[in-house]
Amino acid sequence: MIFLKRQLPLAITFVMGIAFTFQYYIPHPVSEDAITNVSKWMQIISGFALFLGLASLFHVHAVKITRQVPGWGFSLALYVAMIGTIVIGFWSHGETKVDGGQTAFGWLYDYTMVPLQGTMFSILAFFIASAAYRAFRARSREASVLLVAAVVVMMGRVPLGQFLLPWTWDVTQWLLNVLNSAVRRAILIGVSMGAVALSLKIILGIERSYLGGGRDQ
Amino acid sequence: MKDFARRMVGIDRRIIFLLITAAILLPMLKPFGLPIKVSPEVKAVYDYIEAMPERSVFLLSFDFDPSSKPELEPQAVALLRHAFRKNLRVIGMTHWLTGTGLADGVFSAVAAETGKERGKDYAFLGWSPGGGALIISMGQDLYKAFPSDYSKTPTQGMPVLEGVRNLRDVNYMVSLAAGGSGIEMWYVFGKDKYRFEMAGGSTGVIAPGLYPFLRSGQINGLIGGLQGAAEYETLIGQKGMATAGMDAQSAAHFVIIALVLLCNVFYFMLRGEQGRPR
Repeated sequence: MIFLKRQLPLAITFVMGIAFTFQYYIPHPVSEDAITNVSKWMQIISGFALFLGLASLFHVHAVKITRQVPGWGFSLALYVAMIGTIVIGFWSHGETKVDGGQTAFGWLYDYTMVPLQGTMFSILAFFIASAAYRAFRARSREASVLLVAAVVVMMGRVPLGQFLLPWTWDVTQWLLNVLNSAVRRAILIGVSMGAVALSLKIILGIERSYLGGGRDQ
Repeated sequence: MKDFARRMVGIDRRIIFLLITAAILLPMLKPFGLPIKVSPEVKAVYDYIEAMPERSVFLLSFDFDPSSKPELEPQAVALLRHAFRKNLRVIGMTHWLTGTGLADGVFSAVAAETGKERGKDYAFLGWSPGGGALIISMGQDLYKAFPSDYSKTPTQGMPVLEGVRNLRDVNYMVSLAAGGSGIEMWYVFGKDKYRFEMAGGSTGVIAPGLYPFLRSGQINGLIGGLQGAAEYETLIGQKGMATAGMDAQSAAHFVIIALVLLCNVFYFMLRGEQGRPR
């Protein structure tokens, strides 16, 4: 069991990691065929991840409902919505439209999912306004700089601000293209170096947390 | 005066919600119609499409779901109107499963408006799992990655895909992204290896994070948020949802700026008090 749970995954990770690092630099037909096939495997594995996610979601909420933990009603609503959507999806053969007409599944998507997701996101505008009013204060020099920059960018990114204070447009462009780019680039380089280091640790078998913490380990 | 300041600092948030509601609704009922300034990053996308010869291949990836519809759908509509007007061959797809119906709806609506035919002038491939792996798969062989399109028509032999074997045959691509599975992923797994020119369209909240890619030339243009969509609508000379929404966005920004400035005035009025205002 230790071989299947530990040594085999480590060996597969090492071989595939090294092989596909070099594959990128070898434009030979054999190498190209290999990446074509492996990318298809990866797509298939990603598809299975959806089933795993669904199974996990069902399990977590089933536990909440059976134990009647606080807020279990929401879990019940999630169950009803998920099962309802799956049943209607199968009934409509997964089609949103047939011969130009909307199916029940299409109706469910257009009239529940689209407005619900839109509503969730648009509520942010109200909470951001309320949070900005309470938290955006010039408590220190750094906070003052942030406050001034935010006000200028908010003015410069909308037509009314550009009309009333035309200079905010140019300052906004400069802030985004120069200061913001420099800082973001530094963060990106740092994150990328970290990703390379972590990938190397995984390929070389130094980082093994992805194998889980089973009994055999 | 200090009592008033203290009351205002702790104002009921429902009053703020009402102010924001009014700021969004009133300009929609009575628009100001202020002119939209076009930024160089949006103009770059427009110029590239404008310079493409007829029947060039343009790939538009809808990497968002309904929660980002207000910002990214106007961008998609404006780009499709421009591409169809230029008589380009358009390939559509999405990396976000929940965005598939939305993307298909946008394609169908703009194609009907411009008299374009599915399969001949455009193809909507739909969704397939994999993210980065899907991009590599498309880069190797488009027909293995998508054996059929969203309406289950086999992709092999589709007139719109004539001469297109993989991503190397795409002349230009734009990813409309609301998060991680978007512009960066298309650059890392797609453009870097398969050498096509690309640009990005994004929600306002992730746009600042994409400026390093723009400045380094990894993407040749960037359409940021509703403002970017309104700029694109101005460039193609066809005003739409984004231009209409910019007045509401202007007013909402001004209400938030006024609230933040007012709160700071009250904060400074109370600053000397014992225990300082929270």
